[in-house]
Amino acid sequence: MRRRDLLAGAGGLAAAGLAGCAGLVTTEPAGAPPVLDDRPDAVYFPTHVEGMRMAGMGRAGSYRFALTYSYPHRFWNVNGREATLTEIASEDDVHLMTTVWDEETGQILPETGLSLEIQRDGELVSQEVIYPMLSQPMGFHYGANFGLDGDGSYEVTAAVGGVSTRRSGGFVGRFGDPASATISFDFSAAERDEIPFENTPDRAGERAAVEPMAMEGMPSGQARPADDLPGVVGEATSGDARFVVGVRDTPPEGIDGDGRYLYASVRTPYNAMVIPAMAMTASTGDFEGELTRTLDPELGYHYGAAVDTIGNVVGIEPTLPPQTARHEGYETAFMSFDPIEVTV
Amino acid sequence: MTGTTRRDVLKAAVATGGAVGLSACLDIAGESDVPQGPDDPSTLPERQYAWGEHVRRDDAGNEQLPGHQVLLYLTLERDGVPTEGDREQVATAFDSLSRAYAWESEGLLWSAAYSPSYFDRYEEPLHDAVECPPPHALSPFEQPEFDDQDVLVHLASDNPDVVLRAEQALLGAEDGANGVTFEASLDGVASLADESVDRRTGFVGAGMPAERQADLEGIPEDGPVPDASPLFMGFKAGFAGNQATEDYVAIEEGPFAEGTTKHVSNIRQRLADWYDEQNFEERVMEMFSPKHAEEGWVEGVGTNLGDASRVDETLDDIEAQAREHGRIGHAQKAARANRDEAGNVRLLRRHFESADDGVASLHFPSLQQRMSEFDAVRAAMNGTDLTGVTPAVRQRVNNGILEYIFVVRRGNWVVPPRSKLALPRPR
Repeated sequence: MRRRDLLAGAGGLAAAGLAGCAGLVTTEPAGAPPVLDDRPDAVYFPTHVEGMRMAGMGRAGSYRFALTYSYPHRFWNVNGREATLTEIASEDDVHLMTTVWDEETGQILPETGLSLEIQRDGELVSQEVIYPMLSQPMGFHYGANFGLDGDGSYEVTAAVGGVSTRRSGGFVGRFGDPASATISFDFSAAERDEIPFENTPDRAGERAAVEPMAMEGMPSGQARPADDLPGVVGEATSGDARFVVGVRDTPPEGIDGDGRYLYASVRTPYNAMVIPAMAMTASTGDFEGELTRTLDPELGYHYGAAVDTIGNVVGIEPTLPPQTARHEGYETAFMSFDPIEVTV
Repeated sequence: MTGTTRRDVLKAAVATGGAVGLSACLDIAGESDVPQGPDDPSTLPERQYAWGEHVRRDDAGNEQLPGHQVLLYLTLERDGVPTEGDREQVATAFDSLSRAYAWESEGLLWSAAYSPSYFDRYEEPLHDAVECPPPHALSPFEQPEFDDQDVLVHLASDNPDVVLRAEQALLGAEDGANGVTFEASLDGVASLADESVDRRTGFVGAGMPAERQADLEGIPEDGPVPDASPLFMGFKAGFAGNQATEDYVAIEEGPFAEGTTKHVSNIRQRLADWYDEQNFEERVMEMFSPKHAEEGWVEGVGTNLGDASRVDETLDDIEAQAREHGRIGHAQKAARANRDEAGNVRLLRRHFESADDGVASLHFPSLQQRMSEFDAVRAAMNGTDLTGVTPAVRQRVNNGILEYIFVVRRGNWVVPPRSKLALPRPR
């Protein structure tokens, strides 16, 4: 551990030196501007934009894994109703991100446990449960900052837990088992420092988002367009999140209950990234109750309930903000919500 | 030896093991003066796990497990069914060990247990009064290695040289121990097939984790483990009132009556976020329950709780606590399945810490009459149901201590009664 600190210290000095002469394109952590003083309670354009690089991909059973990385960066952890800033620690060398998806359908596995074990020459370097996160270019993924033991070859084992989110339709009985894949990661600080990094003082704080970033071979974290969803009855915005509300004639297979199926598909503005891991209740007709987090091949990740009747109005009240960490630009959005109403 | 204290040498001696570990230990501390065991080993308790009356107790009456422990996962040299000769040799070796050290924590407490794959060597199945299936994954997110060696010998003593000497003599590297010549050893019948995974060591007791935390992978560098803590996570565990009695875990009938089943997992600990991201109150919430934190029931390492953790007072409204605090306690989740209908605790947990390979981990032996009781408690500890109550409680985050522990290995074992200690037949 001591060796790692020394290395991190040296790296930090070098980065600071570079920052002085390289202008806009610089390296973290010295280059990250401070968090804005007056951020809107909404999605905003961050102070800087970073690229990312593919470390490698892996496969286990029907799952695919992608391991990507970037500069270590600050993020906000969300527990309950509070978002708490996690600063970059001196020993952090990279921000590692993992996305896991079902190869057949491209469905990204949300809100399950994901851990990374990092080894070098058979020695344990680190192992952590990493947090579900939302970023503007990537949407939902799992990520954390890690310290490494300098340049070299690492073996990173990503282990994903079986999904306990309710599944319906063709997803019934799927995604229940854990899986892990080991991905080789050749890390070099110099290569990391070639990842694009741009300060964005002109746009920082604007009500806008960084463009979605497509990575070849990886599904996007975007929600299905409202036009592609069945029975959409309306849309509303709350907490800067867009709620697409729909009614299916029958509940999807695997969901108990007769009658119809009320659902909300929640996504970010601008980029339409899926917003998972919220809690909400709904009321319509005789129904008053929770909308349950559910994964369905047709509706994607959504919140839904079987209802006997649909009234003229569907009311939805978010009761807990999405329990995912946030990259900069998302940390003030989706935290407090007014109830919404959609007229049927 | 400048800069290396007597304490440094002693604390690594058991992990090092072998002649090197032993001689380091003896050079520094000398030979412990420990009474020998009985001439007639059959006078020892029929229950190999009858440790409770022979260990120290704290002021509140909680068991204080022996400070130094070694787990030897042995593989039989021979394929197939052991011979009568093998059995006699093993019996003689175990008898010698029993005669060498008094049955007490200053001396040696030990047991020998056998795996389902050991019993698979025989044509006839394990007697159906014993419920001990092969190990399997016990959470929706773990993929552990499974221990399927034949024999698990567990050695425990408050004196490090005692466990080391006992191990040396038992495996045939020394002729005897504590003045007793071993008439046989296990050599030639059973051995450590791969010492790097088959020999595991550990320690437990106030101060021992703190003494060993420096440079240990998994523990933050600033050394947050309190001096008073018997475990790395900074709290006491194994309160008498939350443990099964030895009577309760005894197999009641059949050829293994007075034996028990033993689950042993090895669990890696990653405590950076445990100590750095959370304050004391949050740690109390995640270890015990949100109610413990709210009511201020836990002081320091929890010694003030006395002989019971009060976790039973936190079970009825566990879902409400999850909703209100967005967190749930490890102990309260597990306790939900760790009581029978009459309110008796079902598991007798005797875990201890490890610094093997420079990594902080936990060796977790649990004794129970039936292995399914352990499985049920672990299922309750997974808290999968509570992730449905609020998204704040996730599969491994805000869900007790699941974020910080990684199950590396699991094994299931039958602990036979002492009279069937040596290579028992399945019926």
